[in-house]
Amino acid sequence: MSAAFPYLLLPIAWAARNRARRRERGDALRLALFGGIGVGVFAAIFGVVFWLTWQLLDYEELGDYLVRLGLSWLFLTFLSFVAFSAVVTSLSTFFLSEDLRLLLAAPVPAERLFHSRLARTIGQSAWMVVAFVLPVLLAVGLARCAPPSYYAVAALTVVPFVTIPTAAGAVVTLVLVNVFPARRARDLLMLMGLVFAVAIVMLLRFLRPERLLSVQSLPDVTAFFATLQSPVTPLLPSFWAGESLFAALVGGFDGLHLGALWTTALAFVVLARAAYGRLYLAGWSKAQEARSARFTRLRLLESAARRIPLRPATRALLVKDLKVFLRDTTQWSQLLLLLALALVYVYNFRVLDLDRLPYMSRVVKNAYAFVNLAMAAFVTSAVAVRFVFPAVSAEGASFWIVRTSPVGMRVFLWSKFWTGFVPILVLAEALTLVSTRLLGVSPFLQVLNGVAIAFMTLALVSLAAGMGAEHPRFSAENVTQVAGSYGGVAFMVIAVLYILVTVFGLLLWPASTYLWHEYHSLPLSPRRQTLMSLCFVGGAALSVFVFWRSMRRGVRALADLG
Amino acid sequence: MIRTSGLSKTFGRFTAVDDVSLDVPPGEIHGFLGPNGAGKTTTIRMIAGLLQPSRGRVEIAGHDLAREPEEAKRALGFIPDRPFLYEKLTAAEFLRFHGGLFGLEGEPVETRARELLELFELTAWRDELVESFSHGMKQRLVMCAAFLHRPRAVVVDEPMVGLDPRGARLIKEVFRVQSRKGVAILMSTHTLEVAQEMCDRISIILGGRIIARGTVGELRALAGSEDAHLTPVFLKLTGGTAVQEIEL
Repeated sequence: MSAAFPYLLLPIAWAARNRARRRERGDALRLALFGGIGVGVFAAIFGVVFWLTWQLLDYEELGDYLVRLGLSWLFLTFLSFVAFSAVVTSLSTFFLSEDLRLLLAAPVPAERLFHSRLARTIGQSAWMVVAFVLPVLLAVGLARCAPPSYYAVAALTVVPFVTIPTAAGAVVTLVLVNVFPARRARDLLMLMGLVFAVAIVMLLRFLRPERLLSVQSLPDVTAFFATLQSPVTPLLPSFWAGESLFAALVGGFDGLHLGALWTTALAFVVLARAAYGRLYLAGWSKAQEARSARFTRLRLLESAARRIPLRPATRALLVKDLKVFLRDTTQWSQLLLLLALALVYVYNFRVLDLDRLPYMSRVVKNAYAFVNLAMAAFVTSAVAVRFVFPAVSAEGASFWIVRTSPVGMRVFLWSKFWTGFVPILVLAEALTLVSTRLLGVSPFLQVLNGVAIAFMTLALVSLAAGMGAEHPRFSAENVTQVAGSYGGVAFMVIAVLYILVTVFGLLLWPASTYLWHEYHSLPLSPRRQTLMSLCFVGGAALSVFVFWRSMRRGVRALADLG
Repeated sequence: MIRTSGLSKTFGRFTAVDDVSLDVPPGEIHGFLGPNGAGKTTTIRMIAGLLQPSRGRVEIAGHDLAREPEEAKRALGFIPDRPFLYEKLTAAEFLRFHGGLFGLEGEPVETRARELLELFELTAWRDELVESFSHGMKQRLVMCAAFLHRPRAVVVDEPMVGLDPRGARLIKEVFRVQSRKGVAILMSTHTLEVAQEMCDRISIILGGRIIARGTVGELRALAGSEDAHLTPVFLKLTGGTAVQEIEL
């Protein structure tokens, strides 16, 4: 094995090449959808940053100061993001990857293995940051008409900038694995990361940044910037990156800070290499040892399930699905994020100050109620694609157990449906009812929204269960892969179309007509009443049709497997 | 008890199983042998209800698998070659779940599960997650599940893979006891010594078709071999194509 370390990265490149060559059904749809979203996000970031930088040009010194501060803050945020991401990624790349047994058994020098794993960790933990930084730096450069050297400096800055936190993250992982078992450490870190993300989302929302836009809070702006200044310390690589980029932006060259970035990056790689030599083998063999099977027994769940009047097979499937879900940290931890987003969603309605528009508030509120219904249905479909769509695929290689048992595929799929439907209905109803109440819309709309979301949840959950059964991915490594597959994307497209047709095609006109007549105390003609009733019934019928057809198709697809 | 007639399976233009008819009466251990890619696992998967036949039918305990799948499966125990299980369940929970699928609940299942865990030497692990089990332990747990509902017929794909000699001896003994109780066992295997030692009759499949069937003595006569061991007989009947896989 005399080749240099990039040789060890070849399997990744070959696998990527083979994936690109292999054509799968739905590739075009997936590419169009995700590509479109990607281009859209890129364009949005570019547009916003370009506009902001352009505006700041009018403020000369203050503008310069703010661009400089902005760059330092941007890199400070990414520094922590990459460091955290690197700790989690290193657990996989250095300790849990399937190919490690092969590589460690082969005569591969430790030096090469370390460098190839570090390169892989840098790629995996920093690609998202780089993808985000790219439009930002491009927009800043173009808005300030930066010289070509700026773009070269940008590339020279980003490389050592992502290397430093990744190497530091790898060292933290090497130490962690020598203290905790690798898998438990990963679960713990993922949970911590999620709690951290939830806290950030909630903090940002509860700070109510929109207050800064009101005239009364102008004196706060100075204090706001003073707070921003405080954590930007010259000792951090984020500061060096910001400074070297700013110098290049105005046509100069800051060799000191760029040099500091490169020398620190190299020093961190050397440090990580030393830590690897000292700690890796001990940590690796610890990661191989049998994990202690500590887990929650969930006895309450079993005794509760016994009280529900169900057939033994349905009860067995329900208990199994809930236990497997609750014992898998990667599954239930997503609920925390969901809870935070639900809280933020409801909170938005609490702070919405529509009464500032006295003449329009009633119309705007009612219009908002429909947008809210569509949003709640959209949240429901997003939850369904994450938790219900992968339910059949989650059986994975163990599906033979159900398929060789005397349980029909109808019982099986209905069990998956009910397991998803009940909690999602509670969530959707809670979101809709609380938000319409906080919005203060008429009782008619509150009832309409409550009933409509129940029908829509029925349709969306059955659509997810049915399409999940029609397009299963039993070999997928995780549920995210299943949700992002052709079937998952097709589900989202159909779900959005269904929501638009139901809310804006069938419910908006009759409901607004009713409210208009009620507001003006006008009687409704019998013809209008009939048409309105037809629209409401049409909405319900469409939902029931989607429900019936999805479940039927799902059961048939499962029965036809093989 | 296990009967297939004219069973065929095609994948596109490729015929994996061609007109296979088998009949395993109650109490018989029937060996199903063949080189790699001969169609053993495809046949076994069709009998277990995991794969739909292109033609032909499968009957378990008198129930047509296509027309009465639930009744047919209720009478069958299936042991696959690779024991994929729910990793986040304990051994006891998995058996409880398996019982539930067969409509069994409560104390009778608990008692039966305890007996089987004891028999397959897994009692100490009953409350441990399956994810911490070795391959052999998972295989033994699958066997517990296969016998949990007292099946009248059992289909086994490669029963000895991953088992230590002690585990292998235990499995052989369990199969013998079950066959004495009248359970029909169809066993696919590559281990010819096991087939010779345990099977009442053997079917040999090659290129998707059954090429020979009978007791070890009958097969020996068919092959014109004087050898006491089954290996030369098998190689002669299958054209020697299995030499490499056996010697590997």
